Amino acid sequence: MNWKLVLKVVGRVLLVEAVALVVPMLVALLYGESPMPFLLSIALVAAAGWALSALPTGPQFFTREGFCAVALIWLATGLVGGLPFLFCGQFATPIDCFFESCSGFTTTGATILTDIEALPQGILFWRAFTHWMGGMGVLVLATAVIPSLGIRSRYLAQAETPGPVFSKLVPKQSQTSKILYGMYLALTVAEIVCLKLAGMPLYDCFIHAFSTAGTGGFSNRAASVGAYSSAPIDFIIAIFILLFSINFALYFLLLTRRFREVLASDELRFFLLVVALATLAITVDIRPLYSSMAESFRYALFQVSSIISTTGFATADFALWPQFSQMILILLMFCGACAGSTGGGMKCCRVLLLLRSIRREIRRIIHPQAVEVVKLDGKVVEEDTLHSLLVFMGAYLMAILVAGLVISLDGYSFAVSFSSALTCVSNVGPGLEIVGPSGNFAAFSGLSKLVMSLCMIVGRLEIFPILVLFSPSAWSKL
Amino acid sequence: MNIIIVGTGKVGFSLAEQLVQEKHDVTIVDQREDTLRRASELLDLMAVKGNGVSAVTLREAGAEEADLLVAATNSDEVNMVCCLTAKNMGAKYTIARIRNPEYTDSLTELCQNLKIDMVINPENTAAQEIARLLRFPSAANIETFCRGRVELMGFRLQEGDFLIGKPLYALPPQVKKLSLLFCAADRDGELSIPKGSFVPQAGDKLYMVGRSDSLDQFFRLLGRYAPKVRQVFLLGGGKISVYLAATLEKMGMRLKIVEADEAKCRQISEQFPKATVICGDGTDPDLLETESLTACDAFVALTNQDEDNLIISLYAMQLGLPKVIAKCSRQNYAGIARSAGLDSVVSPKFVTASYILRLVRGMQNSQGSVMNSLHRIADGKAEAMEFTVGPATHHLGVSLKDLKLKHGVLIAVIVRGTEIIIPEGSSILQAGDSVILIAQSGRVLDLNDIYDGDGGAEA
Repeated sequence: MNWKLVLKVVGRVLLVEAVALVVPMLVALLYGESPMPFLLSIALVAAAGWALSALPTGPQFFTREGFCAVALIWLATGLVGGLPFLFCGQFATPIDCFFESCSGFTTTGATILTDIEALPQGILFWRAFTHWMGGMGVLVLATAVIPSLGIRSRYLAQAETPGPVFSKLVPKQSQTSKILYGMYLALTVAEIVCLKLAGMPLYDCFIHAFSTAGTGGFSNRAASVGAYSSAPIDFIIAIFILLFSINFALYFLLLTRRFREVLASDELRFFLLVVALATLAITVDIRPLYSSMAESFRYALFQVSSIISTTGFATADFALWPQFSQMILILLMFCGACAGSTGGGMKCCRVLLLLRSIRREIRRIIHPQAVEVVKLDGKVVEEDTLHSLLVFMGAYLMAILVAGLVISLDGYSFAVSFSSALTCVSNVGPGLEIVGPSGNFAAFSGLSKLVMSLCMIVGRLEIFPILVLFSPSAWSKL
Repeated sequence: MNIIIVGTGKVGFSLAEQLVQEKHDVTIVDQREDTLRRASELLDLMAVKGNGVSAVTLREAGAEEADLLVAATNSDEVNMVCCLTAKNMGAKYTIARIRNPEYTDSLTELCQNLKIDMVINPENTAAQEIARLLRFPSAANIETFCRGRVELMGFRLQEGDFLIGKPLYALPPQVKKLSLLFCAADRDGELSIPKGSFVPQAGDKLYMVGRSDSLDQFFRLLGRYAPKVRQVFLLGGGKISVYLAATLEKMGMRLKIVEADEAKCRQISEQFPKATVICGDGTDPDLLETESLTACDAFVALTNQDEDNLIISLYAMQLGLPKVIAKCSRQNYAGIARSAGLDSVVSPKFVTASYILRLVRGMQNSQGSVMNSLHRIADGKAEAMEFTVGPATHHLGVSLKDLKLKHGVLIAVIVRGTEIIIPEGSSILQAGDSVILIAQSGRVLDLNDIYDGDGGAEA
């Protein structure tokens, strides 16, 4: 393992983050707040980044180096992202800062804060900005702005981009990253404009647009989006959330006028079908709680899109909804958004492929000699891909169960322990009962918070990079 | 440029590697998942899975906007259809690998009907390269410019050569008056452009460029002038051997061909009645001895196994054959062979990739100057290029001593009409000249690239 080069890459990405920290500092200055938390952080991050990127190294960089680099970059990002929180003095412990920063970059949106509105504007802006950077990927950002990381950056992008298959839009990685960020930026700006037109204060527009874009869920209001009690705002955010949950490669196809391929996307159709069915079921289920069908549709649609995209905004406390609706939302947390989007979870196309594999298995039992291939978008899916997909799903469930086990040491109910593990691994944000939409994660012990922070990164990077980092054979010289 | 490569075998992969290095947008198309995965892991390119003859696949790979499509699958027919489909979709230039000798006669017609702009045949290209080496046995490598009037040769210095130990400016007058220039020196894998103060050592590989007859004269002075090759020993009866045998027979050389497969032997014997065809294991020293290998002037190893070729070539060298050439596809093996003293190693995929690269470079620089040929020397560490000076070339008519050239770029020869000029400080460039440059790989794409900054006179 070529550790020096791995660290060097980490250093380069840290330099990009030092530059990113300038943005919230400017916001703090604009609101007349002290820029010190940011200045200190920038100095520390830049120094560390500069020292690491000056390491002399050899050129060997292969898959395992790529995976370890990604894992280390995300751990380092979580640590340095917490620095402004630490220096602003409003957080109880360093672990809380790490938790909040991980929750930001992994676009989870779970918080340990009990009184959000008391925080300075600069810090709140940074929270939302971490969502925006983490959504499309810190590394994708780095490959888009740095001409060359000095390595084959594909390994990195592959390990960071969600979904079972990684495909480029155009031949060059840096060009692909630029196109992705271009579309991401355009959609974000569109949302800011829409929200402003719907009457939201400009600062809040930025916060919520960043949160939506990364499918994160941090808000600057204690009551989240519910604070505005405005139907237009609810609908705008719900629609943009769904837009950000769709594979960005499809937008590229739209831009290049390949409409037929967009319509033929199995994953997109499956995703929309799931959203429609879940919304319909919940609308009917919660009808007695609200005054009209339209109102119950509004809350159902918002909550369904917020959860399936793993954003975690709230307009209503779904912890008070009937069990059936809560169960649907829990299932949506597993499912998650589309591959290649900014959302978390297991990803729709994996669920779809799992369903198709199950169907094939059943047919094989009935016709033992039958030969049948599994297809996606009309193309045959390799058996290797299917196999690794099943292993991935198994590992995903294991991660949730193991994390739930550790969290249960704190003595909360099964629903709390399990849902908080699930919500962290799937990068959703709210769970059930005390960690529900109106609750927070402040009450947990330090150990639980550390495990949850790790879970968020494990979920964001789709399990394996972190496991590779902790496996002894990655560290051995052979 | 947008370049699509269909089929990622040896040639396709090697080509993709070099094109990616030169910052082109490369898309590869193949049906095999594993080769695609390997290529996209190692190189910054886009991989599309599918059959190259399918319009859907080609469209997905972006054939409509492609500047160049290279069809290099195993099947000639697939390559032809692929080029035709892509061309009809809007690809600007298509290259097909067609290597079945049966197509050779009707190639022009085929190309016209199928809208193929260029045909590559790695085996034939490699065979021509080997034939060139056999024509000038003194040199380890040889490249020609200006339709053969100027040549570039590489050779290795041995203990006792008169060049050793003296700086180049102190060469004896009979060498100085020859029309040639030492343009590159490879010492332990480090390539440099030698100045007058350069002191050659034994083991250095020197490259020189100049008039063909001057180079011959130089080898005579060096005492290394190998007589003309008359008797060639060919090991292996594959496609390269057949193409090579045809060329060598035309040059009047006598051939002895060893091949293990009897059916192939019959075929070769039918095709080349004058050649001696031996059916047997050519890697067996006994057989080589019975067939009096030592009586031949040259030995060429062309079996399918790189390892066999290299080992048996080293053996032939040990026996003291004046000229030994081995085919070797793996670049790193070729390096090992060179360190063991085997200088003439030919790799079909490398030769073919260089050929296409030259074309791509030529397509890229439509302004300023036209690149006529490109040869890569010293394992691709440096390139020798021939440009035609056009009216858009900068600093025409300025003495070379007043120009600032980029580091590592050398103007080696200027050809003006029938005159071949080894440049001095007072030489100038004129429109219509042909210029041969030596530069480190990838530095020069256009003749105007040779100038440092604006390259203007310093005075």
